[in-house]
Amino acid sequence: MSELLANLALGFSVAAHPYNIGFCLLGALVGTLVGVLPGIGTVATVAMLLPITFGLPPVGALIMLAGIYYGAQYGGSTTSVLVNIPGEATSVVTCLDGHQMARQGRAGAALAIAALASFFAGCVATVVVAALGTPLTSVALLFGPAEYFSLMVLGLIFAVVLAKGSVLKAIAMILMGLLLSMIGSDLETGAGRMTFDLPELSDGIGFTNVAMGVFGFAEIIRNLEISQESRELVKGKIKGLMPTRQDLIDASGAIARGTVVGSLLGILPGGGAVVSSFAAYTFEKRISKNPERFGRGAIEGVAAPEAANNAAAQCSFIPLLTLGIPPNAVMALMVGAMTIHGIVPGPQVMTKQPDLFWGMIASMWLGNLMLVIINLPLVGVWVSLLRVPYRLLYPSIIVFCCIGIYSINNSPSDVIISAVFGLVGYWLTKHEFEPAPLVLAFVLGPLMEENLRRAMLIARGDATVFLTRPISAGLIALAVGLLILAALPMIRKRREEVFVE
Amino acid sequence: MSDGANARPNSGGFRFKVRGPRDFYGGLALIALAIVAIWASGDLPGMHGFAFGPGTAPRLFATLLAVVGALVALSGLLFDGPPLEDYAIRGPAWVIFAILAFAGLIRGAHLGFVTIPPLGLVPSTFAAFMISICGSTEMRWVESLIAAVAMTVFCVVLFVYLLQLPFQLWPWY
Repeated sequence: MSELLANLALGFSVAAHPYNIGFCLLGALVGTLVGVLPGIGTVATVAMLLPITFGLPPVGALIMLAGIYYGAQYGGSTTSVLVNIPGEATSVVTCLDGHQMARQGRAGAALAIAALASFFAGCVATVVVAALGTPLTSVALLFGPAEYFSLMVLGLIFAVVLAKGSVLKAIAMILMGLLLSMIGSDLETGAGRMTFDLPELSDGIGFTNVAMGVFGFAEIIRNLEISQESRELVKGKIKGLMPTRQDLIDASGAIARGTVVGSLLGILPGGGAVVSSFAAYTFEKRISKNPERFGRGAIEGVAAPEAANNAAAQCSFIPLLTLGIPPNAVMALMVGAMTIHGIVPGPQVMTKQPDLFWGMIASMWLGNLMLVIINLPLVGVWVSLLRVPYRLLYPSIIVFCCIGIYSINNSPSDVIISAVFGLVGYWLTKHEFEPAPLVLAFVLGPLMEENLRRAMLIARGDATVFLTRPISAGLIALAVGLLILAALPMIRKRREEVFVE
Repeated sequence: MSDGANARPNSGGFRFKVRGPRDFYGGLALIALAIVAIWASGDLPGMHGFAFGPGTAPRLFATLLAVVGALVALSGLLFDGPPLEDYAIRGPAWVIFAILAFAGLIRGAHLGFVTIPPLGLVPSTFAAFMISICGSTEMRWVESLIAAVAMTVFCVVLFVYLLQLPFQLWPWY
């Protein structure tokens, strides 16, 4: 316990450095600014803003990126309360009750509760991350290649189970992601794989290009099909930001439960913010005494998913910082950022760079505080941003993304690759394939292959090694169990129900 | 990526009806992708004793993808599903054209016998903005031009002056 406090104290001394507070504030601010724009999700926001952190010192850059992440998430919630289009996937649920509240003239209360719920969840999650960091890092030492491989399989299976739509199609997306990740030079022999003799492909496809294409460009192309007239922005001035005492009493239980759900789901690889907000909302509705209020502006319906997605967003740092495995696409971008600054994510970060590790954790709490401070007074600014017509917004996003991608390697071919993935993403949505598992598999692909090869080599070609080592066998068993559960007709129906809502 | 949608939906030649065309053609496209991957990694050495060769994993995952793709296509054959959605042409075409134009203009490009000189950040940003805005049916000229200039100025200030990224701004230096 005292060790935990000492570590947190170290963290706060790093995070409270004026520069780092500045980066944190700036990150949260620009993250919200971009995240508010409709049709740009968290992944696209972080990918877009990645280049602006390149020039900073490592600690500052990561603190700023974390700030961008929370900001983007909160910005998405603001959009879904004020407009009936969610800014991003995690806010779909917030949209249900939040927008109803806004139509009843209670947009202020909805936004304030969302901010307070996020802040509370953020505080709890910071402690969870700090408390679990040390024990999980020691678990990581027990992990060999076989265990790492099985853990990643488990993560991908989670992504399959938690994706909406058919399980089979999600598995297909995983395999496609793994296959795409293998384009480029082989790790061991350096042989060019599936490069079609194109020099542009010899280094492989950059993750940012895929993410930007599938989540950024494809989204824009799809939005162009939908008439933008259907956007209903809440009219009139937003007044009464402070929720009433009754609101707080109603929401407090939901916030606490949402935080628990989010923290649990956030730690799991492949899970994350989207699912946890769905789960928290459904849970809240199920235990509510009068569930018919949900969807008609129930404050619990805003509080629970907001708390859950923020807790999950933060807890998803745990697998990254302790095991070095990015559990979702945003964390994969963090890996990219860390690599650029010469940091290899994994258990050694905590022992070798304690200031970075604990500084980041402390900055999570600060980031959440910033969100409350900047968002409530700035609601008016976000509203006016939402008034910008989409016909002017989307060219700006495209141009910004192009410059962002180009600036990473100064390479025009990266821009072309992301255009191709924009078309791929458009095609995928037309056939109801979910892009999220594809992107996660793309990220984990190289790590998985490396560990698979090593495990097989150590076991002298014996594939049963994954089942004879106890930890690995446990992880595989869990993955298989989950898959069977998801394929069972009864559960499948329940799953569809949840996603239809 | 090959496009499953251009196959004619049951134009009489089929003995059976495709019940879920989205899954059916989606699955077929995945099989095609898997076949391309197997072909492209065909010349890579495979297993070498206990060790994986560079070609082992790609072929392994491509084969699995073909199998799962076939299952998806089969489920599209057997179970009812929604019809294929129409593809919009105008929006995607302008958006993709804008992105490609940015890529081609910023550092210059050789397209067969045409050579584009490197134009730098300012012209490419402006051009990409103006091209992509054509994808919207609600485009208005004056407003678009003002927005394009504003966005170009914003990007130059942000990326070149604030972030100090080494970009060439204009064609002449």
